[in-house]
Amino acid sequence: MSLFKKNFLFLLIVFVGIQFMPTTRNQRNEVLEIDFFKTFGAPNNIQNLFKNSCYDCHSNNTNYPWYNKIQPVSWLLEHHIKEGKKELNFSEFGGYSKRRQKSKLKSIKNQIEKNEMPLSSYIFIHKDAKLSENDKKLIYNWLDELKK
Amino acid sequence: MKNSIYAVAFAMLFLSACKNNQKQAESNEMNTHEMQMGTDDNHSLMDETMQADKTMDATTQKSGLTTAIIDGYLILKNALVNEDSKKAAEGGKMMLTAFSNFEMAKLTETQHAKYMEIAESAKEHAEHIVKNPIDHQREHFEDLSKDVNDIIALVGTDKTLYQDFCPMANNNKGAIWLSEIKEINNPYFGSKMLKCGSIQKQIN
Repeated sequence: MSLFKKNFLFLLIVFVGIQFMPTTRNQRNEVLEIDFFKTFGAPNNIQNLFKNSCYDCHSNNTNYPWYNKIQPVSWLLEHHIKEGKKELNFSEFGGYSKRRQKSKLKSIKNQIEKNEMPLSSYIFIHKDAKLSENDKKLIYNWLDELKK
Repeated sequence: MKNSIYAVAFAMLFLSACKNNQKQAESNEMNTHEMQMGTDDNHSLMDETMQADKTMDATTQKSGLTTAIIDGYLILKNALVNEDSKKAAEGGKMMLTAFSNFEMAKLTETQHAKYMEIAESAKEHAEHIVKNPIDHQREHFEDLSKDVNDIIALVGTDKTLYQDFCPMANNNKGAIWLSEIKEINNPYFGSKMLKCGSIQKQIN
């Protein structure tokens, strides 16, 4: 076998091998009582914006595209989701103390305003996750109402 | 030879996909009821922080319990005044250590619950301050200042401190900070607006 073929075979075996490494799927289908939307009674248009742009990494339910079921993409994503949920988990938002809820609401607005979130790498793949100026205004207005 | 390798590879892919699905179904069932906690009265976010502000009006108790927290905070505050992000991170780290060494056993039962809530929030802000650039550090410093102020109101301090206010911080909504000196040195804008702000209150 040529060197090229050997390398190819090696990579193929590694690729197949890592498919067996287990990853945890971030999918719990039930909506908890402490979900962000339930906690604040969010209207549907706001719910859709958050679901589309934030919930994949900041909730207990990720909407996985097919390629995210394949390693090593799966790992990368698992790591992102773990980090994302550690900072902010909308599915369990009502479980945070009032003090933390308040500072999280403020940070949500700040992160969107500064275009830090949604992550540019995420928008690159999920074009529909990008928030338009109008979307942002809707979110800001709704968040400002909550803080009153 | 080649064909059989492909065949094996695909067969394995499908096998692993099936395995994942099964696991997923199992963990779904297991986790369903895990996180159901009480959620009464989630609409009034302001309540608790306002309560803490009210207790500020009483004279501050003398206590050495908070000294390490405040020391870390003041290093952080002065670093932000001097636009020194690295030093600010050090201050944040000092605060994290101070929180983990805090002698909670010396608190009363009512203090304890409130302290836990404030400290949880403060630690989160300190963690962000440790690992972020100065803009983001300042953002978290707004809330952290409030948390430290509330801890002092709750537990007390031996130190003489000044509660200062900058009307332009937090997107012109204003934010407080604590200082060990009477002179105004603004941590939110640094050299850009060093003297912006006023003393709201003296502690001790």
